[in-house]
Amino acid sequence: MFLQLKNINFKYDGNHQYVLKDFHLQAAKGEIVSILGLSGSGKSTVIRLIAGLEVPAGGTIEINGRLVAGPDSFVPPEKRKVGMVFQDYALFPHLSVYENIAFGLSHLSKAELSARVNSLLELINMSEYGSRYPYQLSGGQQQRVAVARALAPKPDLLLMDEPFSNIDCELKQKMRGEIREILKSESATCLFVTHDKADLEDLSDRSITIEPN
Amino acid sequence: MTKLIRGFNETNIWNLLAFLIVAATVIPVANLALGVLPGENENWRHIREYLLKDYVVNTLILFGFSGLFASLIGVSLAYLVTVFDFPGRRFFQWALILPLSVPAYIAAYTYSGMLGYTGIITRALSGLFGRDISIDIMSVPGAIFIFTFFLFPYVYIISRAFLAKYTASLIESAIMLGKNYTQIFFQVILPVSRGVIASGSALILMEVANDYGVASYFGIDTFSIAIFKVWFGMGDVGAAAHLSLYALAFIVFIILAEKAIRGQKRFAIATTKVRLLTPHRLRGAKAAIAAGYSMLVWSLGFFIPFLQLVAWSALTYEEVLDQSFLQATVNTVFAAAFCASLIVCCAAIITNSARISRSRLVRTAGKLTAVGYSAPGAVIAIGVLILFIWLNAMTELFWSYSLITSIYMLLFAYLVRFMAVGCNSLENGFEKIGKTYFEASRTLGFGVTRTFFKVDFKMLLPSMIGAFSLIFVDMVKELPLTLILRPFNFNTLATKVYEYAHDERVHHSAPVALIIIAICSISVYSLSKLDKE
Repeated sequence: MFLQLKNINFKYDGNHQYVLKDFHLQAAKGEIVSILGLSGSGKSTVIRLIAGLEVPAGGTIEINGRLVAGPDSFVPPEKRKVGMVFQDYALFPHLSVYENIAFGLSHLSKAELSARVNSLLELINMSEYGSRYPYQLSGGQQQRVAVARALAPKPDLLLMDEPFSNIDCELKQKMRGEIREILKSESATCLFVTHDKADLEDLSDRSITIEPN
Repeated sequence: MTKLIRGFNETNIWNLLAFLIVAATVIPVANLALGVLPGENENWRHIREYLLKDYVVNTLILFGFSGLFASLIGVSLAYLVTVFDFPGRRFFQWALILPLSVPAYIAAYTYSGMLGYTGIITRALSGLFGRDISIDIMSVPGAIFIFTFFLFPYVYIISRAFLAKYTASLIESAIMLGKNYTQIFFQVILPVSRGVIASGSALILMEVANDYGVASYFGIDTFSIAIFKVWFGMGDVGAAAHLSLYALAFIVFIILAEKAIRGQKRFAIATTKVRLLTPHRLRGAKAAIAAGYSMLVWSLGFFIPFLQLVAWSALTYEEVLDQSFLQATVNTVFAAAFCASLIVCCAAIITNSARISRSRLVRTAGKLTAVGYSAPGAVIAIGVLILFIWLNAMTELFWSYSLITSIYMLLFAYLVRFMAVGCNSLENGFEKIGKTYFEASRTLGFGVTRTFFKVDFKMLLPSMIGAFSLIFVDMVKELPLTLILRPFNFNTLATKVYEYAHDERVHHSAPVALIIIAICSISVYSLSKLDKE
């Protein structure tokens, strides 16, 4: 399996109750999997654990055959080759759209970098927006930039935390289709969290529901 | 082995640095508090037997009355300018913060000059009544007057923000229930703002405890004065340390009292909804009384002493602005800019590692720096002195350099004292930014350190500049630490003012005092901006 979580336990600091207890999850390469659950069920926690933003209290996480979290090892987020789209997008306000997308590409040469950023801008239909700043974009545009930024370093895995929660209804449907196309054209493996059942049908290949612990 | 390697990851380096800085700033006071004291000696026995009672009584009187009067004035003015509309209201809203830009010692020198035998107020009163009337300000009531009128803005600022934001519906429903505005003030506003008043008063009392300039000029024996006398008069660090311990106990008492009072205030704000109150228009005599009261406080707390300083400066500036003044300015600006930059860097390390760390220990460590800001300057000076005497003894064998007479001791003491100011500002800054940018950068392949410089630093810059200017201002007016720990012949603008005043040349202190006030108004300006948010 491409992504494998086994026996994951997790609780937040100062809390006695486990958010996740003996949690399992698998995903195949190229698959788009949605995680459904009520608020407080720990669905965002799953994504944060995979990204390396939280440390599990027990269990193992493997991505692309590599152990990234286990009893004796912990790979920090920057070394996991995982992209993440945050609920509020977290586009750096001091950087332009172009610079935001280029942020994770500092290992590339200048020519390679601009080729990659431009192709992504084209993919998200925003070629003319490279020099704009995040505050000059609409919600839907910000989201597309966030997706492009996360995909830019060609991560093994893309994680999205409630990607459509800040977008109004009409735009949502359109965005779902667009994002799905983008993901498929990059053949990215993707895991996303949602509480909206409509997201599942339009976007994901498969869905999992987390029950509150 | 893997564990060992993990132990040295980036986060831990940040934590280690933060821990070292916090430790360095806490050690001087902790040293005293944990009783690393030299044994009792003759001096200390004498002080305890004959003098300690006076120090305690004087300090308590100053605390009690300054705190009470300043709170009353602060909260009543806050009520006045938020609930009522009267001529000059908009002006007084911000102008009533101005007294904070006048350090209490400068106010004390100015008032004693105005009330002296040839002072302008004494002469005016004599002219008016045809006989000599003199008011003795150099007394305990005089000191209470100074602290009251120049520190009340602490209560004014916080309670005004509180009243404006949270009490609109309370006041309106009280009116509907048939109460008048006086009843509302005593039955609703005072009890409801108890917590805020407590916070403001705690700040006032800490300033009073920290004061050296006013009490020494007026000849009132407080703990800070006693610590000075014991150290400079007798050269007795041990007795000074014992005294410091008592002074610290007062501070602990203030903090606990504030917590106790605030702890019960939770019932106060049942709503988090912010609705602004439409002010009630006053007319006729009532409007005149409201405007007159605001005017009186503003004049006494700022305008009159300010005018006097300007008048004196016109007389003396040619004499004062000499080589030694230039040197003092250079010293002040250098020390303030250097320490403020260093503190901002250290505070960035502390607050950033507190933010990213998973260990609760690291996250609370930053709060410990508050010790330096709460303790009176004289106490910190003694704590630092003891630390450096010990360091000197350690290095004596292989290094002939004397740390105790060097400027480094003073600079270090500044760091101890003002680290909390930096940490507070940057903590607020980080809170505003949130953590997702940091996390986004991590998932894009950047480590903690690179993320800090590429992302956090740029976004934190406004907060860093804010912190720098706050610390800079605090340093410019700082007196007790500088007086105790400065190397021979090292003057800052503040010590210059102090020296002129103590040489009976109050007029000559005016130009320098005005410069300090001008610099201090920077922080007053940023306070008023903060207020608007």
